[in-house]
Order: sequence, then structure tokens, then C-alpha cells
Amino acid sequence: MDWLARHLTLLLAAAVTLALPLVMTSGSLATEVLIYALAVLGCNLLLGYTGLLSFGQGIFFGIGSYAAGILLTRTGLPLLPTLLLTIVAGALVAAAVGWFAIRQRGAYFVMLTLAFAQMFYFLAYSLPDWTGGDNGLLDIPRPAPSLLGLTLMPLDSPWQFYGFVAICFLLVFWLLQRVTDSVFGRTLLAIRENEARAMAVGYNTRLFKLAVFALSGAVTALAGAFHALMTGIAPLSNIEYHASEMILVMTVIGGTGNLFASLLGAAFYVLMADWLSALWPRWLLLLGMLLIAVSLFMHKGLWGLGVRLWQALRRDGAARAEGAES
Amino acid sequence: MNVYLLQIINGLGIGMLYFLLAVGLSIVFGLLRFVNFAHGAFYLLGAYFCFQALAWGLNFWVALAVVPVIVGLLGWLAERILLRHVYDQPHEFHILITVGLALVLQEAVILVWGPLGDNVATPAGLQGVVMWGGFIYPKYRLFLIGFTAVFALVLWWVLEGTRLGSAVRAGSESTEMVSLLGINVFRVFSLVFALGAATAALAGVLAAPVRGVDPFMALEALGIAFVIVVVGGMGSFGGALVGGLLIGVVQSVMSTLWPEGARLMIYIAMAAVLLLRPHGLLGRG
Repeated sequence: MDWLARHLTLLLAAAVTLALPLVMTSGSLATEVLIYALAVLGCNLLLGYTGLLSFGQGIFFGIGSYAAGILLTRTGLPLLPTLLLTIVAGALVAAAVGWFAIRQRGAYFVMLTLAFAQMFYFLAYSLPDWTGGDNGLLDIPRPAPSLLGLTLMPLDSPWQFYGFVAICFLLVFWLLQRVTDSVFGRTLLAIRENEARAMAVGYNTRLFKLAVFALSGAVTALAGAFHALMTGIAPLSNIEYHASEMILVMTVIGGTGNLFASLLGAAFYVLMADWLSALWPRWLLLLGMLLIAVSLFMHKGLWGLGVRLWQALRRDGAARAEGAES
Repeated sequence: MNVYLLQIINGLGIGMLYFLLAVGLSIVFGLLRFVNFAHGAFYLLGAYFCFQALAWGLNFWVALAVVPVIVGLLGWLAERILLRHVYDQPHEFHILITVGLALVLQEAVILVWGPLGDNVATPAGLQGVVMWGGFIYPKYRLFLIGFTAVFALVLWWVLEGTRLGSAVRAGSESTEMVSLLGINVFRVFSLVFALGAATAALAGVLAAPVRGVDPFMALEALGIAFVIVVVGGMGSFGGALVGGLLIGVVQSVMSTLWPEGARLMIYIAMAAVLLLRPHGLLGRG
């Protein structure tokens, strides 16, 4: 029972990854859910666990796409080393951006992350030899992952690729669960609650923030790499402000401070976007209204709403049971 | 040499526009401790309302006078209906609600005027160039520098010389103290937010003949306004002026040296300032 409680969110996440192929017809849409869920995990780590609102997650998503694209098209490196290098690249860039940004706090920090997002966008735009500029990086191959010369699984069909992404997603999810449960994770929560006090207790909070930034960048870059693999291109839009905004919006709608909420937020956004954008091209108007509603009425996002409903139901059930007894 | 001088003067013109764009954001933050992500959207509305006014055959000068007032009213309403309710929440909800508002406004603009941009004619009387010895400069840009300089002086007077201004400056130091002195702080908040929206709209109206209108100009403006505020120092009138001029000149000079990278250089300049002075050029620690 204890084991179950501790791993509830991981089991829920595993259940969702298993259920998606059963209820969805499009493999690439299901893969998109998991890819963005990965990116949202990275954002949640910053916002939910450390209290850092980053408008620059698109930087790492884009860097991931470009790094994977450049490595696969130019060096012919196998898939797994490519992904590993992409993760390292994401962590390094995030550490560099973080090094600047965490010198500031609060609103200043947020504005800096957005300014850096713009900076990397224009950087990608002004280096067309590397990034393909406006057209994006095209014809990115999707080689099968292999280990010691042994092909692990084919990735040709969308559902095969989904399987690979799902395995990686659950691995990262489990890893982040371990991280947030660790002393490191608890220290992050302490920074979120009261940074001055955490510093007074003797923690080097800047170092912790830098570390969580790098971790977030690594996870987000992996998501970006998967996106490039799925679509075969690394477009400029992956590093644009809108990528940052989208990741942040998914994080907030899902709910912060709980890892499963990230999957919820990504799934909600991706599926709504797929459904609504076909009905009405201006569906972002509704999204804006939803954001306003979340900031006014439901700070804990969909996950918080679910928890509240669940508690209300249980209380209702308990009251009814009591009524039956008397 | 002459090319660089011209680019520097050009940069001052752009820089004054940037100042106008950033000063509202900065003042609103100084008083309300509120980063307004919808600031760019008010600039967008200003530009499109100007475009619409001209399309109706109205005079540019009418647009210049009326549009900021209308957008200021919209800002006042937004503060009254929405933003006021999140003041005592953590700052992420300030940001989220204004991001939501910005999205709604941008999509509304696309809904009304379509996703493609349009040109806005330079007002009659300001077309063409002035020649001054060997020196050639567009008339409209000259007007831009003069007008924004006068406006900056007026704004400075409002902040430094009027009762509202002293309430705003005192409120930036301590909101509680000001309300204890019997000033209705909430009314000041609404007024300042409306003023911020109106200055953004004014920047939009003035920018429209230079760059035309398109629905995505809000984001570009927001990014630049953030850079200026970070460079100049948050909540500082002088900071917005110095930051705006500096960024304008950097962008303008770089556009002759490395056209593709001119935009990039703005952000590199920001990073450099930040390294040397983490609180901005005129920011208080």
C-alpha cells in the first residue's frame, strides 16, 4: 500500500501511456502528447518545484531540435549517442541562460527569460547555415536505436516511434520523481517557499537553481529532439516565443508541483488544439480566456480541480454512509 | 563616418519610440509591482486603431489624439474588471492573466482585421525628406524625435510636478504608507495602468506609418520593451529613456554593419549591460 501510494503518479503516467494507443487513432498525435508532456515536466520542475517562472523553455526545446537535426544529418551518429549529446547540449545552454537569469528574482527573472528566448530566436534566424533559417532544418532521418550493434526496435511507423518515446518518457518521469523526492528536491521546495530562509540555513540557493535549470534544459531538449525526429524537420517555430508560451501554458493548465499534472496539461492542450483548431482558427482566443480563468479561479490547474472534485465526492460518500448508519 | 552619424541619428529616432514603448511598462511595474505582458497588445491596438481611423478617412492627427485615450480606457477597464483581483496573488498569476489578455486581444485583432499586415501612409505634410547641407533625413522621423521629446517632458512633469505624480512615486516606495495618508491607492493604480496602456497605444500610432501594422507586432514590441526596462532599470523614467536610446542606436548602427544580426545585437547588448550592472544602468539595487 505504501509502495502504491509512493508510486501512484508514476503508475498513473504509465496507465496513460498504455491507454493512449487504445483510444487514439493517430500515432503522431499521441506521440505529440508525450513529447510536450516531457517539455512540460521540465517547466514544472522550475515553476512548480523551485518557483521559477521561465518564459525561455522554447530555447531548450529548439536547441534540442537543432542539435538532434544537425548531428543526424551531418555526422551520421547513431540515435542513442545523438540523444545523449542533445541532452548534454540542452543542459549546457540552460546552465548558460540560467547563469544570467538567476542573478535576478521575481518579475525581473521572468522578463530576462523572455528576452533570452527572443535572443536565441534571432540567433537561430541569423545562422541559416546551421539552422536552415526561415525554412528550418529539413530531411532529418529517424534511425532505429541500437546498442552494441544490436537493433533494439524499429521506428518506422508512427506507433513504433510512439513506443520508443513512451519508454523514454516513463524513464524520465521515474527519474524526475526520484529527483523531486530526494534531498535535492526538498531543497528546491524550500527555495520556492522562502529563498531567504533557505539561504540563511546555509544552502547555496544559486547553485541549486542553476542545477535545476540545467536539468530542466536537458529534459526539454530531449523533447525537442523527439519532435524533430517525429516531424523530420527542425523549424524556426520550435525555438520561437510561441514554443515557450505553449509549454508554460500547458504547465499552468495542468497544475504545478505534481508531475502527473504535467502529462494532464500537455494532453489537454494538444488534444484541444487538434480538435478546436480544425473547428475555428482563432481558438487561441478561447485559450486566452481559459488562462484568465485559471489565474482568477483555479490556481492549481486541472490537477487541483480533479483533486478537489475527488475530495468532494469522498466527503459526499462518507456523509451518505454515515447517514445510512444512523 | 557620415553613414554612422546618420545611423546614430536614425537610432535616436527609433530609440525615442522605444522609450515611449517601455516607459508605461516601467511605471506600471514601479507602482503596481506588476509585469504587464499585455503591454505589447495595447501597442498593437494603438497601431490598428490608427490604421482603421485612416481607413475611415479620418486625419492622422485625430488618430494621434483619440486612439491613446480609447486604448487608455480599455486598459482602465481591464484593470478594473480583471487585474485588480490578482494583485495579492503570487506574481506568476499577474503574468498569466496578462498573457491571457494579450492572447485574447491579439486573436481579436486577427478576427477583425485578418492575419496579414498592412501599410499605413505617412501623414500629409510629413512625407519626403529634409535636406540640410549634405544631410538628408526623413521628415516623419524628425517629427517623431521632436514629438516624443515633448511628450517625454510632459510625462516627466506629470510624474514630478503633479499630485498624481507624487502619489505614484510615493506609492512605488510604499503602497501602505500612501493609503494611510488618505489617498485612494486603487484609484491611482487604475489611473496609472490606463496611462501605461495609453502610452503604449501612442507608441503604436506613431510606429504605424514607419513599420505598417501586423498582428504579431505586439510580441516584438514586448520583447524590446523588456530589454529596455532590464537595461535601464525597472520603474525608472530616466532608465527607460537611456535604455530606449541606447537600444535604438545599437540596432540602427548594427543594421549597417551586420543587417541579419541587428536584432540579435539588441539582446547581446542587454546581456552585456546585465553582466556589468545587474540592476540596469539607472536601477536602484
